[in-house]
Amino acid sequence: MVTPDGNTDHELAEELLQLVQSLAAAGHSILPQTPDTLLKSIVEAAARIFRAAAASIMLVDEAEGMLEFKVAYGASDRDLVGTRIPINQGIAGYVAMSGQPIAVSDVAQDTRFNQAFAKSTGYVPRSILATPLISGERVIGVMEVLDKIDAPSFGMQDMELLGIFARQAALAIDQSQSLDNLETALLAGLHRLAVSDPDHPSPHLQEILNKNMQGMGQNAMLKLADLLTEFGRMGDEERDVALKVLSAFAEYNQNRRRFSAGVMK
Amino acid sequence: MTEASQVLPAYSQPFLQNAIRELTSSGPLTEITPEWAWGGSTGQGVKVAIVDTGVDYDHPAVGGQVYGGVNIEWDESYKEKLRFEQVDRPSDLAGHGTACAGIIHQIAPQAQIFSVRVLGTNMGGRAYQFAAGVDWAVQNGMDVVNLSLSTAKNDYFAMFHAITDEAYFKNIMLVSAASNFDEPSFPSLYSSVFSVASHAGKDPFTYYYNPTPPVEFGAPGIDLRVAWKGGGYVISTGNSFAAPHIAGIVTLIRAKHRELTPFQIKSVLWACAANVRKEAPAS
Repeated sequence: MVTPDGNTDHELAEELLQLVQSLAAAGHSILPQTPDTLLKSIVEAAARIFRAAAASIMLVDEAEGMLEFKVAYGASDRDLVGTRIPINQGIAGYVAMSGQPIAVSDVAQDTRFNQAFAKSTGYVPRSILATPLISGERVIGVMEVLDKIDAPSFGMQDMELLGIFARQAALAIDQSQSLDNLETALLAGLHRLAVSDPDHPSPHLQEILNKNMQGMGQNAMLKLADLLTEFGRMGDEERDVALKVLSAFAEYNQNRRRFSAGVMK
Repeated sequence: MTEASQVLPAYSQPFLQNAIRELTSSGPLTEITPEWAWGGSTGQGVKVAIVDTGVDYDHPAVGGQVYGGVNIEWDESYKEKLRFEQVDRPSDLAGHGTACAGIIHQIAPQAQIFSVRVLGTNMGGRAYQFAAGVDWAVQNGMDVVNLSLSTAKNDYFAMFHAITDEAYFKNIMLVSAASNFDEPSFPSLYSSVFSVASHAGKDPFTYYYNPTPPVEFGAPGIDLRVAWKGGGYVISTGNSFAAPHIAGIVTLIRAKHRELTPFQIKSVLWACAANVRKEAPAS
């Protein structure tokens, strides 16, 4: 099938797929707007539950390949918030890269282990338990609890419990973000993405965005966001089917408009 | 709180001291002993791939036994979206891969270690990098592959199933750590791999067989001193470190008995597990 401006179905599907993939990344880059109060209460609770001297949450900035401290609680002589570390380094980096938790102790014995960074914060932890914050399949951040108060290290049971805790925390972060920023983020993100990649221009979506999305209500946006997120989680085959259904609907809609406008009598 | 009442990771639960079930070996299987299975073996002639964050080739814990490897990156500008870079002197991004390699080297000091780096900054293609890493090991003549990583996403079930079956039929031993979370993860739950969770012991040759799979073996994984990035060591905990213990023993068996297939080596491991008691053959 060829659409009125000469694009094939396949090209439209590719274009949409490209945008949806990029959107997943863009969606997470708006996390800085997540209310700090929520994150603060999460790390404070984590520190108490795991009897840790300190706790922190870092969020992933995938575009920059960095982890950024969003909230820190407890023993540190400097405000860590805003500090960024490369995503492919150290304990937190491993957790972000692998999506798996890890418990490490005797950290200070290793002369080169994150020491430069740890010393710059004025705080070299003795034991660390770090676990990923996962939304869907993506790692959106890392939660760490540092220095177990009554034991030399965090154990397997701590790891399991922090995992359950982190699941709830990630959900809370995600939902808070969705409700607060959904409309602006989606519109801004889609607009930005529709024009940002010269190799994959998205004239259709730009047009649709300009015409149709400005007046959309919150509920409609929420549904659309859910769908887009779902797209991001699909396997290639399922995604192809979904894109075909969408394309078919778009075609149907165009035809319907043409009928009602009397073009195709 | 007693140990039994503690909340422990589901996959390590069968390997708690008071949860380990005693099993009995009888008949000809009693003739399979650790001495027969791996006595005198050093892992010589066996190629072991560590699919992970990379391996520091010059870390003292790997004793100069790292023979190269590959870095696999997710790169949208490539046709297959995967970029392969052969490396003679591999390095580790975090320390995790070196920790696994160090454990294997400790058990099988003459095995040849290859670093297959599949983790990096781009998380969008993580499962595909991981799958490509396993595939690289299968296509490049590796005998044993340590997989201290997994994916929990159902979409990749079939992809990993196909790759691990291919390895199984090519007599390549894939040793896979169970998730540290209470959730199914792949490929650790396939029958074609050696799946491993943690017990609290420290002796590298003491492991248990779990008669209620999916996780079949329990090996040391708690509070272990492991090699880390930059030539140092840390104390760490996770099923990630249990898997290389089994990978190391599998490497020893493979070096001594080249003809054995994955299911035969599993049987040997079963016969030599610390909770399998040998009954004298009936006279």
